[in-house]
Amino acid sequence: MEILTKRYWWLGLVFIGALVLPLVVGEFWVHVAIEILILGLFAVSFNMIFGNMGQLSFGHAAYYGVGAYATGLLMVRASVPLPICLAASMVAAGICALILGYFCVRLTGIYFAILTLAFGQLLYYIIFQWYSFTRGDDGLQGIIPPGALFSATYYYYFTLFIVTGALIAMWYVNESPFGYTMRAIRENADRTRFIGINVRRYMLINFVVAGMFAGRNWHQSGIPVFMTVIGGPLGFFGPMIGSIIYTFLMAFVTGFTEYWPLTIGLVIMFVVLFLPGGVLGLVEQKMKVFRSRDLETRGDRSAETGSS
Amino acid sequence: MSGEVILNVENLNKAFGGLQATDNVSYEMMTGELSAIIGPNGAGKSTFFNLITGYHAVDSGKVFFKDRDITNWPPHKITRLGIARAFQVSNIYPRLTTYENVRQATLAQQRRTLNFFTPANRLAKKETMQLLEITGLSQQANMISGNLSQGDKKRLELAIALGSKPELVFLDEPTAGMSGEETHETMELVKRLNREIGLTILFTEHDMSVVFGYARRLTVLHQGAVIAEGTPEEVRDNEEAQRVYLGEEA
Repeated sequence: MEILTKRYWWLGLVFIGALVLPLVVGEFWVHVAIEILILGLFAVSFNMIFGNMGQLSFGHAAYYGVGAYATGLLMVRASVPLPICLAASMVAAGICALILGYFCVRLTGIYFAILTLAFGQLLYYIIFQWYSFTRGDDGLQGIIPPGALFSATYYYYFTLFIVTGALIAMWYVNESPFGYTMRAIRENADRTRFIGINVRRYMLINFVVAGMFAGRNWHQSGIPVFMTVIGGPLGFFGPMIGSIIYTFLMAFVTGFTEYWPLTIGLVIMFVVLFLPGGVLGLVEQKMKVFRSRDLETRGDRSAETGSS
Repeated sequence: MSGEVILNVENLNKAFGGLQATDNVSYEMMTGELSAIIGPNGAGKSTFFNLITGYHAVDSGKVFFKDRDITNWPPHKITRLGIARAFQVSNIYPRLTTYENVRQATLAQQRRTLNFFTPANRLAKKETMQLLEITGLSQQANMISGNLSQGDKKRLELAIALGSKPELVFLDEPTAGMSGEETHETMELVKRLNREIGLTILFTEHDMSVVFGYARRLTVLHQGAVIAEGTPEEVRDNEEAQRVYLGEEA
């Protein structure tokens, strides 16, 4: 908590801003904000695998999808109450991640990425072909959220509550010995074996945990990747920042052109070429320059005036 | 504790393609030993360590640690049993701080790496600081370890290995890239670890003054095979050892 209060005071401001948002903007932007929150959470969970474990997972949307279908099917076919459905979606996504992860963590690098992509596609076709159960590409009809959630504002607060809770939990995981162990595996898997850690098992556990947090749109496997690249993969909040930029940009750009994929492609190219650490990386770099300048001026004013 | 066999290697073989990297090597170590393996580049020293610690699978032969057959066990299990190693090319977590590097080994040793909810910066403080202090890295604790000097990286390697609280340690050229002063300090530390806490240590080294100054028993490898073994004096007087190795140096 100490770190949270000292270094991340601005998060409190962001949260207060998020709380008052529906009072100051129209319904359209409330929907945009809901999208940002959901996709942001998805991207942060994706980054548990990409940023922390150092592996690129294209199958992450699968857990999102499995979670969404688990919720949807339970509501439509079994009329299970929403909170139980949400818990069940996490369990379903976790189980799916466990099965996929069992195979995927045997590989690393490009092979890991390709296998996750293949599994993601496999699930995609199962869902769309298994018409009798999932209704295929007609989608699930008749998902009726509890009355209160019909209102955009209430739905927004509901989402904010869930996403904030999940972010706090993921933050703790990130700072825990387990989180550091994942970074250790990213940095040097061999060394990690030689301090007595079963690397494959830890990767699988991480895969499952990340899958559970991901657990709702398909053929969108690239989205968390884009968000993470834009925001910055090495900081915890990078993907969330990426989600804000991506969703706003999409809402804005699609207003006057249909060439959204082209636009995002150019943005990604720009970021990869000129901002390898993403937006968060840029901010941190500027902060560092600012801080060290601050120290220099305090420490040795004469030298600074002399040089300038 | 000394006097018991801690490590027993029987007829170990390993070939990479046509190259016999380890050729029918048998080796025994007693608890409390401080010994060295020497030999020219490519003699199979690192491969020997890699076979014992589970990094490579053996072609044939057996490895026993305290009478337990650990042949072809995975590295993490061997480490947990009490064998740690420091690598020849420093093998650290370059984007983590020195402190975080050592803490990771300590957390693993304390079986705390499956803890999801306690911030890591509250755990294993005392043990980590202690390891940094004995390896002389306290001042560099908060540095990103990739920016450390070559000598400090090797010391960090040693600190990570000690973090596993091993009974037997393999040090692959522990002083590579160090100045004379640093080499002396590091080897004195190795000697203290051996004498004071009874750590059994096997190291490889190129610097002959280090080898003869610290190792109590030497084994000479050449083209994967053991060609001489004994006290430093015996090895110095061994003709074959002189011919293939010591002679080349002189």
